[in-house]
Amino acid sequence: MDHSAIEVRDLSVSYGSTPVLTGVQLTVPVGAGVCVIGENGIGKSTLLRCVSSLQRADAGEIEIFGAPPGSTPEFWRAVVTTVEPPTWYPGLTAREHAELVCRAHGLDPAAAGMDEALDRFGIASHADAIPPSLSSGQKQRLTLALALLRPSRLLILDEPEQRLDPEGRALVAGLLHDYLADGGTVLMASHDDAFAAAAGTSTVSMSDLHSADAR
Amino acid sequence: MTASVTAPVSVRGLRRWVRRSQSAHRERGEALGNYYFAVLFVLIVGGIVHKQIAAVLWPAEPNASELAGDSLMLVLAGGLYLALRRLGPLALSRPAASWLLTAPVSRRRLLLPSLWTALAGAALAGTVGGLAVLGHVAARPVPGTDGLLPLVGALLGGALLLVALGAQAGRRWSAWSDHVAYLVTAVGLAGLVVDSAVGAPRPDAGWPAAPLVTALGGALALVVTVLLVLAVRRLATTPNERILEASKTAGTLFDSAYGMEPSFVTEMVERRYWAHRKLSSRRLWSRVPVLVAQDLLLLRRRPRRVLWVAGAATLPALLTHLPAWILGVAVLFGGLIAGGVTAGTIRTDAGNPVLLRLLGLSSRRAIGQRLWVPGVLSGLWYATALTLLWALGDLPAGPWWALGLALGPVGAAATMRKARAGFVDNGLLPLDTPMGSVSTGPVLAAVAGLDVLLLGLPTVVQIAQGGPLSWTGVVVQAAVAGIGMRAYLNATTETDRVELSGR
Repeated sequence: MDHSAIEVRDLSVSYGSTPVLTGVQLTVPVGAGVCVIGENGIGKSTLLRCVSSLQRADAGEIEIFGAPPGSTPEFWRAVVTTVEPPTWYPGLTAREHAELVCRAHGLDPAAAGMDEALDRFGIASHADAIPPSLSSGQKQRLTLALALLRPSRLLILDEPEQRLDPEGRALVAGLLHDYLADGGTVLMASHDDAFAAAAGTSTVSMSDLHSADAR
Repeated sequence: MTASVTAPVSVRGLRRWVRRSQSAHRERGEALGNYYFAVLFVLIVGGIVHKQIAAVLWPAEPNASELAGDSLMLVLAGGLYLALRRLGPLALSRPAASWLLTAPVSRRRLLLPSLWTALAGAALAGTVGGLAVLGHVAARPVPGTDGLLPLVGALLGGALLLVALGAQAGRRWSAWSDHVAYLVTAVGLAGLVVDSAVGAPRPDAGWPAAPLVTALGGALALVVTVLLVLAVRRLATTPNERILEASKTAGTLFDSAYGMEPSFVTEMVERRYWAHRKLSSRRLWSRVPVLVAQDLLLLRRRPRRVLWVAGAATLPALLTHLPAWILGVAVLFGGLIAGGVTAGTIRTDAGNPVLLRLLGLSSRRAIGQRLWVPGVLSGLWYATALTLLWALGDLPAGPWWALGLALGPVGAAATMRKARAGFVDNGLLPLDTPMGSVSTGPVLAAVAGLDVLLLGLPTVVQIAQGGPLSWTGVVVQAAVAGIGMRAYLNATTETDRVELSGR
């Protein structure tokens, strides 16, 4: 494969008259893990939203696996993002949400290890609860469990360690490490250097992504 | 500041201080202006529709049977109780619930004004109900004692409110009281349908019997007095969470009315329904497409809703005295009720496509699968409603059951369009009419879905003409419905787009 998983060139985004991203450059090779770090408001989430095609940039180019990001089923079968929190289906339990995701991707839930995944994420005892009744940490665990349960080539995660206890952080970091080892690509934003290192991602400061002439 | 305990303060003084502080931030005359516009609004709307209101409550001649009158009373009483239970019935304004409920004030004094307001509202609703029953059933002139029926209605409204207040405090019998209210409403509706089917006789001149009205009024007055004393005594024990929930309901209703956004209420009702259910996970049926399996699971979890929808198939029989084309249109509307049982999943996807992205299905596949359950449900509903009308002799001969099934795709597409409509667009240009300007956003949102029902026009024409139904008529309707649903699917979805941005 001759193209990168993510290629961002001269990306610029402003909110009103406030520039958030100016001439951002980023390349993430296939199979690599990159963790963007930086203080609040520096534009990490905006970058992830643009890469996920959930936000239009003012200028610049983005390519995901050699093509512009879009809203096609092919794109969303390759890419999983937790940049936006889900609105859960009414009347469906946490376990049934997981089964729905498996079946939509043609997977048998048992063969995909659905119950083991729920157990590993510590939500097996809440599998019969409807997701809105879960705590914020449990919702975050369920979202990550769903994201990792289905097949994908690229994970785009916005502060996946948020609202997780230390044990949960270690678990997610380990799973991301395995995902990278299996050939997947990860782009995430985080405030936790230790978590990023445990996940096997290389950290890059958001301020370093802005092109020299833009700064 | 942790050692001393704050002494209780006067609710009246606190409220007066809040009012004074609020008015200090307002311009002089602003409150007066608001009252002026409210009164003007009521006068203008009253001026436009007062004749219609009078016709509904007090027609020129009584037009209903004794059975219809009794059934209507049951429907109104059951409906009022269920409405009061949904509203609380005891609620505070949202700021009062946030700040005064947790303040060191007398809870009874804090809640008493809400109790009086709720009591007045319930009594008013009961009076209007009593007046309507009297106006439709009692022979003219109405004798003096019978004229007390609205008063009996007011007392019944008050009694229902006080029972609902007890249920709000979380008594063991609260769930049972809801079941009884559902049953009373269902019996009343069944009575109305039977009345329409058999043409029950008009009551004698003396209906309702004066001793019955007097006895009922006296008994209800006693019940209301006892319940009111108990309610005021126990008012302070109403649990906080129940009051907070009722306050959120009142706030959402206000937001919905103020923003002309009915989806706030739909979303709240759905969220609460599932929050109170205890579910156990089930396997999705693997022999059908995944989203069909999800809808079937949702359907299985709403047996009472399905029962109500099935019962509603008898309601068109109430409209047989109206012009035939209105009956046809009313039957078409029913498909939206049937299809709406599983529409929550579409509303979720249309409002936020995050899960659709996670599922990785194209919008065409998603909507294509989501059309199945509403299509079958509305097809069965149409078939039942039309067959019932035929059996009652209100429709001529013909395979009406087949026409009903042929209408299934119309109900499915209309349900889909309505559920995908999303929020009301209040940014659209208002429409100037001789009666004043009308916001186009809420109007467009209100007709979303109804426009697709036009695909059922062959059925409306068939019913309006009153001739026997042929198989050709069924085939024509089936073709229009099938082609129309396919066209809707193709026009509003894409094979290369996940989001349901199209309508």
